[in-house]
Amino acid sequence: MKVAVVVQRYGQAINGGAELHARYIAEHLARHTTVEVLTTCAADYVSWKNELAAGVETINGVAVRRFRVSHERDPLEFGRRSVRVFDERHSVADELAWLDAEGPTSPALTKHIARHAADFDFFIFFSYRYYHAYHGVRAAGGRAILVPTAERDSAIGLSIFTPMFKSVRALMYNSPEERAMIQALAGNEHVPSVVVGIGSDVPANPQPARFRQKFNIRGPFAVYVGRVDENKGCKELFEFFEAYLKESSGSLSLVLIGNSILQVPSHPRIRHLGFLDDSDKFDAIAASELLIMPSYFESLSMVALEAWALGRPVLANGKCDVLKGQSIRSNAGLYYGDCVEFVETLRAIEQNRWLSGSLGRNGRQFYRDNYDWPVIERKYLDMLQRLSAETAAARTMEPLPGWFARRRADERAGSEVVAALPAGPCVRIEPDAPSSYAPPPPAARPVAASPQMPARSDGSRTAPSQPSQQDRSSRGRHDNRRFQGRHGRGRPRGGPQSGRGPR
Amino acid sequence: MADFSVRSDSVNVEQIMEQIRARIREKRGSDYTEQQIRELASVKLEKFLDPRGVRSDLLEAYRQTQAAHTPPPPPNYVFGEDTLFETHRGPLRAMRKLLAPILKLFWNPNPLIAAMHIQSQLNTINAQRETERRGLDELHFEVLHNLVLETTRMSIELKNLKMKVESLTGRLEFNERRARALESVVVYRPGQDDRIESPAPAHTPFVPAPQAASSPQLAPSLAPQSGGAPSPGAGEGPGQRSRRRRRRRGRRGGGSAAAIMGGAPQQPGAEQPGAPQTMSEMGSHESDGGSEDSFDQADHAGPDDSSGSDSGEQ
Repeated sequence: MKVAVVVQRYGQAINGGAELHARYIAEHLARHTTVEVLTTCAADYVSWKNELAAGVETINGVAVRRFRVSHERDPLEFGRRSVRVFDERHSVADELAWLDAEGPTSPALTKHIARHAADFDFFIFFSYRYYHAYHGVRAAGGRAILVPTAERDSAIGLSIFTPMFKSVRALMYNSPEERAMIQALAGNEHVPSVVVGIGSDVPANPQPARFRQKFNIRGPFAVYVGRVDENKGCKELFEFFEAYLKESSGSLSLVLIGNSILQVPSHPRIRHLGFLDDSDKFDAIAASELLIMPSYFESLSMVALEAWALGRPVLANGKCDVLKGQSIRSNAGLYYGDCVEFVETLRAIEQNRWLSGSLGRNGRQFYRDNYDWPVIERKYLDMLQRLSAETAAARTMEPLPGWFARRRADERAGSEVVAALPAGPCVRIEPDAPSSYAPPPPAARPVAASPQMPARSDGSRTAPSQPSQQDRSSRGRHDNRRFQGRHGRGRPRGGPQSGRGPR
Repeated sequence: MADFSVRSDSVNVEQIMEQIRARIREKRGSDYTEQQIRELASVKLEKFLDPRGVRSDLLEAYRQTQAAHTPPPPPNYVFGEDTLFETHRGPLRAMRKLLAPILKLFWNPNPLIAAMHIQSQLNTINAQRETERRGLDELHFEVLHNLVLETTRMSIELKNLKMKVESLTGRLEFNERRARALESVVVYRPGQDDRIESPAPAHTPFVPAPQAASSPQLAPSLAPQSGGAPSPGAGEGPGQRSRRRRRRRGRRGGGSAAAIMGGAPQQPGAEQPGAPQTMSEMGSHESDGGSEDSFDQADHAGPDDSSGSDSGEQ
């Protein structure tokens, strides 16, 4: 089987969410099948300037073929077109012009896909909202698999994307919230899909003491990892944390990790360490009491998963459906809606060691059940095998409307469409579309979570001494078996990754 | 947050969040949202504020005033040196320009031009000030609005706090009364010395106080009714009495009564002549106040007793 991963940027130094996601998936799939990455020569997501050489190179054992971007992004034009399509009634032509203005516009990449579509079994496109995905899916025909990485922003409301969601062979979602949003928008329940997400290379033995010594940090602290940006909710985080410092007798400090484009308040208990490498980042998370995720919009928070993998609870912004849903489903994090809740939840995690220990253990279990690499790889491979076995009832994307229809300004503003979409976290997980994942028998509860524990062929894992089905059903949640089994019912695990437990 | 009922094997985030929200509601007294507070501030101020202090329709009146008073920008003009001679007709402008020197022979237009020019500048400055003032008005409105909101919030909080204080005062008084009642009916577990002392009232049948002390459950009802001057042991529990004896022994340096009185040193285990042999005898000696110390030494020869640490309590 030969698979192409198509993404807007690619490289070891490129750490954007979807790009990193694509790299991880490509590298892990390359262990099981032949993978080639198709991408552009751009490295900067703002300008899409051609900075990398066109042609083929190998990165971490994966062949990467780059194509030049035909024109860089004009921020003014892109802003103007964004206002037009997001806030006003507009036409399909406006949306296509917006897509072109957004970039990275690389017709060479699209032509290559069209010309060599038969050479690959499947094309996995990342990030629905870019030029390469929209035109690439059309060029790939019935071989396109889409990883939308969609957030609840106005772009998802543009009409040009709806046919794309309906016509791809399969969709690999990051979260149930993302799936619910896209299915509500496009009505594509018939398209095979699975909630996958992504794993992370979390070290087995992080060194919290090393981090504390290296950065001279004493005392308990909460950590934020990511760009320190108002769009990431950091401004609100600072306000809320200052309120915590004023109102509470708590002793937590706030440690910020990541580049800053926002003024960090000058306070002895707020420290900004700047960008750290992965080793320090994991050490910091392991040394922290909890991770705070103040972002409003997330398709999937990798850093939250990493915190859970390291057995640390997460305090998330409750206005982000994905984070809130993950916190509820995993029982591994709390969430806040306003300043008072922020202070109280932070204080709860800080002062109640049983609570924080239990949340951390649940988080580790949640990660192992759903986001450990063997789980992720298996989901991708199962989907590829399932699609290969299907008699390809090739779905082709419906053609664009004619010249006049394309210019008829009868499309609703993107923000208006998004506002009408159902919101809220998915507490009850709908099962995936019919697939090879057979739910385990009622008596067996998939817990497993240990990479050493062999997975069954049906994808489930079993462990002895499971609670009764009645007990679980009384909770009235988690229909999908794959989202069960991390409610902290498992006992604390031994080994270096064990949670600290009740203190 | 130590009051969470969290079990490590059954954490339910939604339940925990409900508990946290309940706690927040409890702290707030009543769970008003920001929108509700705004509504209260704009509509029902008189319910929470002193109507003599703040008008409940203050904000509305202010808004109406602001909305009604949107004056157009004040008229102004530009007055230069040539303004007096300007015209849209080209030939006429040329003729005026040509004849201007002749005109200036009859009168001097410069002061007029200067005055009008100054007036124009004044108009501009005035317009700027007006704009700034309107900006300040917006600010004042905002401040006033926030003040009224905060006052409303504070008054709600004050009301809730008053209720809490009243509730807590009631609870405190109740607890004090309960504590007093419990103190008076506290039941001591009878020790060996208490069992020994219990027959004492048998020898003093006419003194009600020791009876009351030997039957603690009756003490609170009987003690106030005794009326007369209390005897040395009246109103005391047996434990208090033994403590007092220990204190006395501490003051005396811990020696036996016989040694203090100059008698022969007592051999350990040897019976003293005249020492009580039976419980009734002990009781009679105790009632005489004579052999307390020998009893204590025999039965309470512990480190606490020998240290005399209670001497400071005198």
